[in-house]
Amino acid sequence: MRRLLTVFIALAALFAGPAPAATPGVTDDSIRIATIQDLSGPIAILGAPIRDGIVMRLDEENERGGVHGRKLRIAVEDSGYDPKKAILAARRLLGDGQVFAFLGNLGTPVVMATMPLIVEAGLPHLFPFSPHLATYAPTHPLKFQLFAPYRDYMDAAVRHLVGQNGYRRVGLLYQDDDYGLEVMRGVESGLAKRGLALVERTGYKRGTTDFASQIARLRAADCDLVVLATVVRETVAAAQEARKVGWPVDMLVTASGYSAQTHELGGAAVEGLYGVSVMPHPYPEGADGALNDWIQRYRTRYDADPNVWSAMGYDVADTFIQGLRAAGRDLDVAGFARAMASLNTTPGFLGGPTYHFSPEDHLGNRRGRMARIVSGRWQLVSDYLE
Amino acid sequence: MFAQVLLSGIANGCVYGLVALSFVLVFKATETVSFMQGELLMVGAFAAVLLVEGAGWPVLLALPVAVLALFALGALLEAVVLRRALGRPHLTAVLLTFGLGLALRGGVTMVPAATHQLHRLDLPLPGVIAIGPLQVAGAHLAVLVATGLACAALAAFFRFTRAGVALRACSEDPRVAALMGISPSRMHTLAWALGAALAGVAGVLLAPLTLVHPGMGLIALKAFPAAVIGGLSSLPGAIAGGVLVGVIEALSGLYLPEGAKELAVYGLMLLVLLMFPQGLGGRGATR
Repeated sequence: MRRLLTVFIALAALFAGPAPAATPGVTDDSIRIATIQDLSGPIAILGAPIRDGIVMRLDEENERGGVHGRKLRIAVEDSGYDPKKAILAARRLLGDGQVFAFLGNLGTPVVMATMPLIVEAGLPHLFPFSPHLATYAPTHPLKFQLFAPYRDYMDAAVRHLVGQNGYRRVGLLYQDDDYGLEVMRGVESGLAKRGLALVERTGYKRGTTDFASQIARLRAADCDLVVLATVVRETVAAAQEARKVGWPVDMLVTASGYSAQTHELGGAAVEGLYGVSVMPHPYPEGADGALNDWIQRYRTRYDADPNVWSAMGYDVADTFIQGLRAAGRDLDVAGFARAMASLNTTPGFLGGPTYHFSPEDHLGNRRGRMARIVSGRWQLVSDYLE
Repeated sequence: MFAQVLLSGIANGCVYGLVALSFVLVFKATETVSFMQGELLMVGAFAAVLLVEGAGWPVLLALPVAVLALFALGALLEAVVLRRALGRPHLTAVLLTFGLGLALRGGVTMVPAATHQLHRLDLPLPGVIAIGPLQVAGAHLAVLVATGLACAALAAFFRFTRAGVALRACSEDPRVAALMGISPSRMHTLAWALGAALAGVAGVLLAPLTLVHPGMGLIALKAFPAAVIGGLSSLPGAIAGGVLVGVIEALSGLYLPEGAKELAVYGLMLLVLLMFPQGLGGRGATR
């Protein structure tokens, strides 16, 4: 079905011909896009700064006159992390016929529910905040992604750390859902390449409050590295439990734990924690030049410090703008998709990776960097890992 | 290691027990299983965070005020909503609590500061105390002590105060109690208010152990089996059930195969119900 659809869309794109007025969401002086965020649900902690980062980047472009003379407008919808609400929002936006593309939709359940509607309607589905394979593979002319699955990052991170620090007994604490299993696969494949296997694995359900038994179990297995497939709260709780019982084991957390909140809440317990960073955290202290300007602008605008999610939102919008520029003044979906499929971005001042797209590969980047909490803040301790 | 995990299980079990206690309190007085206790717990923790972070109150003042606020909230919900379910089938009240829980949670998530970051409630507690080979977290110790105090206070309330005795009378037989001059509707209010306050106590105790976030109420999923194991109508049974659930959960996580931990608690509930249909603390007549 999906393949048929791909063929159909490709044919439709071929025969669509030059009819600029018919491109949804595009007028002579504006381009309207949409994003579905979680602004009220369980990951609103990510959704709000992502939205702020995206909107800020678009507005900056508009102040400079827009892209090829077109101002950028965005419709922000709140899904509350609920696929049902997300589908309603997507239908509403698609029904208007006033949207050119969807940018940076947040949350795997939301993305899995809405992505088929969006690409079936013939709109680009760009850079969702969902590290799911289906967002870029198999290659679809309208799907583009910046963020690799956890598996890719964790495979490289585990290999790097084991190689560097010589760990022999690696254990895993994982959230018992898709996210945790995805990380587990990455850790296992990374270890296998070093001739190792997990010596212990122990799960927890979302909402778990106490990690005493999990930490005891990992300790009983005599682990020398514990990989945490956790989110911020559980990262802090697990590290605190280990330190409480006097176990100074090294720990590595996924990109989900790479947040300033981890060290703000975890304090001394998370000192030395390794993490995977896809985008560096924009710390105001020690920032200089363009980064410092950006932080000040963000603060003035939102009355809050930017975090790594604000930076990602900004980056997503920036990549979209680079794609629009490459597509030229005569803008239609097929032309934009062609331009995207050969885009090589220039890195920005935020310190994120460069993104390379090709007609065969619509995932812009597969590599993350190692970071470590030193003196109460994340510091990057490696280059991009192969 | 065994003792360490056991202790952690007991402390966690005490929080389950407190929430279970609030289930039981409400159930005894109103014969309603309240599905909003978890959300009340979350609201209690947020109330304390609001007072400390928002209003800048000292923690030791904020905690009792947050619990009192929950007491008032419980009374308010009863007066405005739950009272209307009196005399209707029990399911009405049960569904109302379910809806109120959703509303409470929705209300909290509407506040950006609540959802956009996790919060921490810093109690003036020692970090870790070494007792022999055991490393005891100050927060765990506080939970143990506070649970003991809360139980003692409740026991004293039910034994020595007029309101407590009246509440007991009402839950034994509301008609006879009414004939004796007790107002069942006021007792109804009191029961809901106390239930909410207990959930609030559990919330502020849980806050240092986990962090304060809108999903905290999920703990009620563990507290409910604790209440059932304890017999749903026995106050000591609820605490015992909670501690049992906490301990079983912790030890099964340590010794049983991966994944069994989540099943163990519910398995235990089924086993107890099979062997003791009244629950461990249940006695005598069924109604």
